[in-house]
Amino acid sequence: MLTWIVFLPLLGVVACALLPKDRPELPRWVALAVTGADLVLAAIMVARYSPSGGLQFVERFDWVPQVGIQYFLGVDGISMPLVALSALLTFLAVIASWKIEKTPKFYFAMMLLLQVGMNGVFAALDFVLFYVFWELVLVPMYFLIAQWGGPRREYAAIKFFLYTLLGSVFMLVGIVVLYLQAGTFDMMQLAELGPKLGVGVQWWIFLAFFLGFAVKVPIFPLHTWLPDAHVEAPTAGSVLLAGVLLKMGTYGFMRVSLPVLPDAFHSWQWFLGALAVVSIVYGAAVAFAQADLKKLVAYSSVSHMGFAMLGIASGTAAGLNGAMAVNISHGLTTGMLFLMVGMVYDRTHTRQISDLSGVAGQMPVIAGLMAFASFASLGLPGLSGFVGEFLSLLGAWTSPAIPPWMIIGAAIGVLLGAAYILWMLQRVVFGQPSALVSGQPDASTREVLSVVPLVVLIVVMGVYWSALLAYVNPAVTALAQSLGA
Amino acid sequence: MNWVALIPALPAAAFVILLPMSRQVRNKMLWLPLAAIVGSLVLSLFALVQVWPGGEVEEPVWAISWAFAQVGASTFTAGFALDSLAAITLVMVTIVAACVEVYSIGYMHRDSRVGWYYAVVSLFTSAMLALVLSNDLLFTFAMWEVMGLCSYLLIGFWYELEAPRKASQKAFLTTRIGDLGFLIALFVIFANAETFTLSRVLETAPEWAPGAALAASVGLLWAAMGKSAQIPLHVWLPDAMAGPTPASALIHAATMVAAGVFVVARTLPIFEQAPVVMSAMLVIGALTALLGGLLAAVQHDVKKVAAYSTISQLGLMFVALGAGSATAALFHLTTHAFFKSLIFLGAGVIIHAAHTQDMREMGGLAKHLPVTTATFTVGALALAGFPPLSGFFSKDEILALLLHEGHPVIFGIVVLASGITAFYVTRLWFRVFTGPEQTEQLHEGHTSMVAPMVVLAAITVVAGLGTTVYAALLGHEGEWPAPGMWLLSLVIAGTGIGIGWWVYGRRSVNVNTRVWKQRFGYFYDALASKFYFDLTYSFVLVKGYFRLTELAAVFDMRAIDGVVNGASRLWVRGTGATWRFDGAVIDGAVNGLATLARNTGTALRGLQTGRLQNYQRFIVGAVVLLVLGLYVVMMVKGA
Repeated sequence: MLTWIVFLPLLGVVACALLPKDRPELPRWVALAVTGADLVLAAIMVARYSPSGGLQFVERFDWVPQVGIQYFLGVDGISMPLVALSALLTFLAVIASWKIEKTPKFYFAMMLLLQVGMNGVFAALDFVLFYVFWELVLVPMYFLIAQWGGPRREYAAIKFFLYTLLGSVFMLVGIVVLYLQAGTFDMMQLAELGPKLGVGVQWWIFLAFFLGFAVKVPIFPLHTWLPDAHVEAPTAGSVLLAGVLLKMGTYGFMRVSLPVLPDAFHSWQWFLGALAVVSIVYGAAVAFAQADLKKLVAYSSVSHMGFAMLGIASGTAAGLNGAMAVNISHGLTTGMLFLMVGMVYDRTHTRQISDLSGVAGQMPVIAGLMAFASFASLGLPGLSGFVGEFLSLLGAWTSPAIPPWMIIGAAIGVLLGAAYILWMLQRVVFGQPSALVSGQPDASTREVLSVVPLVVLIVVMGVYWSALLAYVNPAVTALAQSLGA
Repeated sequence: MNWVALIPALPAAAFVILLPMSRQVRNKMLWLPLAAIVGSLVLSLFALVQVWPGGEVEEPVWAISWAFAQVGASTFTAGFALDSLAAITLVMVTIVAACVEVYSIGYMHRDSRVGWYYAVVSLFTSAMLALVLSNDLLFTFAMWEVMGLCSYLLIGFWYELEAPRKASQKAFLTTRIGDLGFLIALFVIFANAETFTLSRVLETAPEWAPGAALAASVGLLWAAMGKSAQIPLHVWLPDAMAGPTPASALIHAATMVAAGVFVVARTLPIFEQAPVVMSAMLVIGALTALLGGLLAAVQHDVKKVAAYSTISQLGLMFVALGAGSATAALFHLTTHAFFKSLIFLGAGVIIHAAHTQDMREMGGLAKHLPVTTATFTVGALALAGFPPLSGFFSKDEILALLLHEGHPVIFGIVVLASGITAFYVTRLWFRVFTGPEQTEQLHEGHTSMVAPMVVLAAITVVAGLGTTVYAALLGHEGEWPAPGMWLLSLVIAGTGIGIGWWVYGRRSVNVNTRVWKQRFGYFYDALASKFYFDLTYSFVLVKGYFRLTELAAVFDMRAIDGVVNGASRLWVRGTGATWRFDGAVIDGAVNGLATLARNTGTALRGLQTGRLQNYQRFIVGAVVLLVLGLYVVMMVKGA
């Protein structure tokens, strides 16, 4: 089952490669079919997943038995929602990329390859396999930015590639040291062996993993690759970058750093919390000053992922639930925001906020959806954004390691989040239509369909928290207990 | 009795149905929200029957709850509970909302987005009704925020214009500053009570850790100050006048501002654990009542007079809460809701007729708008606290309470504020309704607009009779005002009205107010500048934040990204050195020099050409490291 979910898109890559060059409309249909099938498989997985059942859909056999490397896939409450998110967003990204004209074969092949990597990272439970998928993600994303991106795409693509590669080199060191210390690449086994290591060793390994994951999240001050990558990436690239790739970082913390290195985590807790709060406030402040819509959303990601990090830093069940809720919700809301920005860009060919005005008067549907995504993103109760913010803060408040000033600082970040979102809405959505906006058509059926699933999930998750947390809570509660919280 | 849940659910359903409709369809479906609110009104009356005759009842007559999340070992629920306080407030909210919606048929019918207006009004009302019924503080907070969203949408309803856009943003952000207090309070409460369920929270409040009740009540007070426009978080309310007038009536009477007072009243047992906060509430309320009244007295915009008047009256409610009486506060909240919405609806008709909001350009409306004049007069007298209208009874209860609890200074301030209230009401009345007509073709409002005003006026006249019933419902011994109180109120209102008449009413004699303005120059300037609150905020907070974010953005680009780019530049130079060495050995000195020149050339060009090679080196490096690592591992294993 998981193998199919992970490797089905690879068949699509092959199919894309085999397609004739003179039929440019075919690759997108292949991509749609493959990602659609993958989404169906993911849905079946969700339906058959038993919330209290621990690790499920396990597939394991020896890969390189000489060193104990296994082919080991499986999902629990932390990874399963992320696999489903990745399947959904890739499918929607394909719909959003329908009008790609430049070498569609290569484009959709890269997108499918990206999905292999993303699904794989969340499903892999052997460290070597995990690392392979982790690195695999970089290549197609690099090409998506560098080939179909904006004017400074090469700079942005290389920056993205180098920065995250640098991070993962540290992670590799961590993996190797951990193997030398504990003697296995099995991540489940490591969760039992890791805590037995001395605090000193744990601390250094934690540092190595921290660098790898923190770049990906990204945590201040390791975030500057993100705005550049987002601004230059095509819409679908931004959606997947913000929606899925950033979650690899927070997932890493929850899958590796916390369970395997609990003692080191405790000595890092305060520092992680402080960085998270700085990310929240700093990201929101910098987002406020941006003149480019995509940059604004990019910095808002830094701020939002800060909430996930704060929840993780708390080490409590509420905080970890919150971190997972931020992961999923941010994928949905920011994915949707990027899709909406993409729709505006497709019409006006600008993302400069000063060139845009009065979208509501000219394109009420696009404006309405954009406002919806904005309010979901600023954490309006009843929509998904609030769940994660609230639980992360609540978890941090109840955690003995996080001082109250951090929560108050982060709560001010909530306010600043409302500020940049409303300020953006006031300039872009409301007012009289600007020259570039007037005369433009409203959303097409395809465009509306590409966001409807997100709207539904944002509302469902925001109203009935258990829709997500029922899967997450058993896993993170166990994790919190193992951390002694 | 689960039908009680329909009271908030009906308007919510109207919103959900209207939302996905196209603009044309939505505009034709106004009967739906109207039917919904009337349905809620009827059900609310039934609910009131259920709790009748109230009294000291420990348990709510009906309760229901849904679990929506399991977090760790705790279950989060959303729930409703119907007690007499909730029932009577439901009736008040639905009556005012129904009046506003009927009125809006006439007031908004020409607007191209009237359907959307009705959808938002429905959601707004629904959120308030749910908040009134809520038995879970987290759910209360959610409804609280939904109301913030609705007020944002209604204040900014005419979003093409600059002023509504700015006002809506100001309203949302200012109230959200308050909401941070609510958030923190929720955390404190959960950390101590391990639940958000209101009844449990109030039960355990006396046993919380030291300081917890203090922190929670400070947070809740701060939140309520934002929502109910108390100084210094009142600045959004006067600007909120940029929205449609009936929406203002809703915001000022039945929803939004009422939520703050209501939530504090509900959680008063927590406040009672922290007497300091009660005292602070008393002082803040009194100050707000006084300053709000003073500011109302110098406004020229009819709606702004009403807005500052609301701020002032809400201050009175906070005084009552600070003195420890939820009953007095809520009774005034209820009577105020009726007469203030009446005043706002009247103001709408006046503005429609006079085509201006500036009362200096109005006059002589009484002759042409008889019904509006009559109903507006009722509202104005009630606001002035003139017996036997409802405002007299509720204000009297607060005054009596202050005397009884021994707060002579606050009592004095409230008396002063009441006098000022009577003054500005009179000023408004004479300016608008008497004197020469300034505009032609003055028309009375449409029947759909006049009828709700008549209903509200009738309620305002008789609501005072409910004084003892109201108290009895909430389990208190209600008392009729003592004769001395009647006299005092008459004197206060009479003095205010008298001065107002003396200055503005005697059209034959024009009283020159300029002399007074000059003599009290500083004071008048302060009044004219709204006590400098807006100026300070816009100069220090807004401008300061703009500047700060710009600096942060530059810092991000130059400093943080600069380090990144600098490091990569260093790397390029470093690898460039080896590259040069290569070139020197293989290609000779000339080529090498050329490479050297290129590499030490402009940084950006260096970046662009150097980086592609770099990343290849990086990949090679990573792979080599991996292989090496595995090799080492295998050696270790083998050995």
